[in-house]
Formats: sequence, C-alpha cells, structure tokens
Amino acid sequence: MSSLPPPDLRSRILDAIEREPVPSRAARSRRRALAVVIGFASLLTALAVVGPKMHARPAAYVAALVFAWLPIAALATWAGVTPGRSMLGRPVAWRVAVVTLTPVALMAAWAGVAMIWPAMLQDTSTIKRHFICDAATLGFSIGPLVAFTIVRRASDPVNPRLTGAAIGTAAATWAAVVLHLICGYTSGAHMLFGHVAPVVLLALIGSVLTARTVAIRTKTG
Amino acid sequence: MNARAMTLPSRAPASAVAVTALAPVAAPWPLRGTSSVVHPRTDADFAMERYAGGDTAAFGQLYDALSPRLFGYLLRQTRDRARAEDLLQQTMLQIHRARDRFIAGAEVTPWAFAIARRLLVDDIRRNRRVILSDDGDPDPGVSSLDRADDLVHAGELAVRVQHILARLPHSQRAAFELIKQEGLTVAEAAQVLGTTVAAVKLRAHRAYESLRAALGDLDSSLEGRKP
Repeated sequence: MSSLPPPDLRSRILDAIEREPVPSRAARSRRRALAVVIGFASLLTALAVVGPKMHARPAAYVAALVFAWLPIAALATWAGVTPGRSMLGRPVAWRVAVVTLTPVALMAAWAGVAMIWPAMLQDTSTIKRHFICDAATLGFSIGPLVAFTIVRRASDPVNPRLTGAAIGTAAATWAAVVLHLICGYTSGAHMLFGHVAPVVLLALIGSVLTARTVAIRTKTG
Repeated sequence: MNARAMTLPSRAPASAVAVTALAPVAAPWPLRGTSSVVHPRTDADFAMERYAGGDTAAFGQLYDALSPRLFGYLLRQTRDRARAEDLLQQTMLQIHRARDRFIAGAEVTPWAFAIARRLLVDDIRRNRRVILSDDGDPDPGVSSLDRADDLVHAGELAVRVQHILARLPHSQRAAFELIKQEGLTVAEAAQVLGTTVAAVKLRAHRAYESLRAALGDLDSSLEGRKP
C-alpha cells in the first residue's frame, strides 16, 4: 500500500483553500490589537464605574501593592498568553510555571509590601467580604480574558487546556491588580481568599472554557 | 548516530521498521529546534514564510513539502486511506487558516504534525474507533525476499512489532512513532507532544527497550526453528 497521497488530493486541497479566503496579516493584527484595547478598556471602565477607593490605607501602600503585582501580571501575560517564536506556543514548562507560580508570586509580593506596613496585616474582613472580592475579580477579568482568548483563538493543537489555564491566570491577575484600587481589606486571609484564590479559580475556568476556543478543532457542518 | 538517519523511507516494509527499530535510541540526540541550536530551514519553512507573506502559489510547494510525511503518518495511524486523506486535507486547511498569524522563523514541520495529531485524536474520539494496528497489511516491499522462511520471518516480525507498539502506553508509542517512523527529531517530537525533550527521550527509549526485548525473544525462537 503506497503511503503517498493520491495526486488528485493536491488539487482538491488547493481548490478548498481558494474557497476559504483568509484575512491579511495586517487585518488580523488590527483585530487582535482592537480586542486587547477593548479588553483592557472594559477593565478600566469597570474600575471607573465602581470608583477607586483608598479606605483607611496609606496611598503609598496601595501604590506599592499595585506596582508589586503589575509586573507579575505583565510577566504572566507575556509567558502565558503570547506564543513566542513557535507556532506551538511557549514551552509547556513556561505555562505550567505561569499557572502555578503566579498565585505564589502574588502572595509573596503582598507579604513583601505588608512587611513595610505591618499595621495593614489586620482587618475586619469576613468570609462574605472574601466572596465579594472573588466575584469582583472574576467580573473584572472578563475583558482581559476575552481579549487574550481572541488573541490565541484556534492556535494550540497540543495543550489547549494548559494555555487556557495560563490565559485565565493572566486575565485574573490583571483584575486582581485593579482590585487593589477598590478593596480596603488588607489582611493575609483576605488577600489569599479574596484576591489570589480567584486567580486559581480562573485558571481552572480557563482550562475548561477558554481551552475550547484556543484549541485547533475540526470544523464540522 | 543521527536520529534522522535512523528513520525509514515512507514506503519501507513493515519488517524493516522492526529491524530499524533496534537502532540504539540512547545514542546522542540532535537537539534541533531547541533554543540553543539554530535549526536548519526546511523547504516547508521557506514555503510557509512565502505563503504567509502573500505568495499564494507557495501553498502548492508547502503541500509538496509536507504532504508525503503527513499522509504517511496519518495512514499508519488510521490504516484507512480515505480517513488519512480527509485528515490531511483538514490539516492543510488549518495551516492555511493560520496564514495570517504565522510567526516568521517558526518551524513548520512539528507544527504541522501537531495539528495532524490533534485532528487525528479528535477523529478517533468522534468516531469511537479503536486503531487496530494488527490488520496484517503486508507491504509490497517484503516481496523482494525470495525465501519462504524469510517471508514468514518478516511477516511475523512486522505483526509482532505492531502488536508490541499497540500494547505500549500511548505516550511511549507516540514518541517512538514520531521519531522512528516519521523522522522527527527529539526536539520536534517534544513540541508535537507538548512535553520536554528529556521526557520524549525517556519515552522513546522505554518503547525501544520493550520492542528490543520482545523482538529478541522472537528472533531466538525463529533461530531455534531453523535447521
């Protein structure tokens, strides 16, 4: 049995691709850039609607937290969302590191900031407050999540679940950064259960929902 | 020994696959495609770059560069020409759809194999079919052996290899097939399987050890039958 494709398959495939035009590279880049801009604009709009609040926190503390978590969000996005120089995305280890180390890095960065302002280690947060911040983080992350998913749509034939989890992690981290400008609770428990736990939760959600869009799948129908 | 040198031409007889499979896997591996080594550009890489850059005619060259290996891989996996043709068409269409987001300088071959493998897995799941590797499809290349004993030996060997491969854990089998049968480097196979080079080496080595042990048994039993 010959393991070469039949000669007529070539012409069939060439006919098929002619019937399915693909947008130009410039058009696609514009669309992706627009998705990212809209995604982050929605995040900032949500912040503007809710309104930044300092509560009883020193401004320097809030600024330190934001600037400590901002590079983590940027790094998670770069390593977990952008494909790098391969059509198969960045190495698996990078995405695993994004998913597993980002929550750890967030807590470590918070702990570093809290050492400078030890008074912030105490607050009156309750489980209900944790859940409110969980919901807020998930809500704020929708814009970046959709944007990142559009950027990586139909691009991963190997590990879409892992890529979905990394996308979820990165999106939730951006939302968690913004949440510092709103939430006045600062204790370790609140930080863990209200601000970092949703990052883990969104990684799980991403590994299920986002993965379906990121995966390369057979077109049916 | 170079991994590519150990690979077979796509029309090699199944018995030759078995014999070639005994080549040492533990030998130093080329790490083409890793960050520390610049991979040589293939015809497929050049054709895809031109296609992504707007040269529509380059798709034909891309097809010519990729299709023999991809089709051989899909045919070996499905044992069904119609399905293999359909999957090859879908793979090439996916590559076409990625034209506008192709990353300049990226390797095309592992990407194409990864797409083909993903579509194959989807196809298997959708059809709830079990890939049977023991249909005993004799390769015409075996007919060059004129002795009946050799024919029997080659046939038994081929069937045995397929049986052993079918019994291996999926991860080991996939690593072994991509390297030994499809001619991918370890680095390329690692990309296709979404794992590390070290993991692929280990899986392929374990598959090779299983195969060698089983074929060693067969060889000695056949030797014992000869006058």
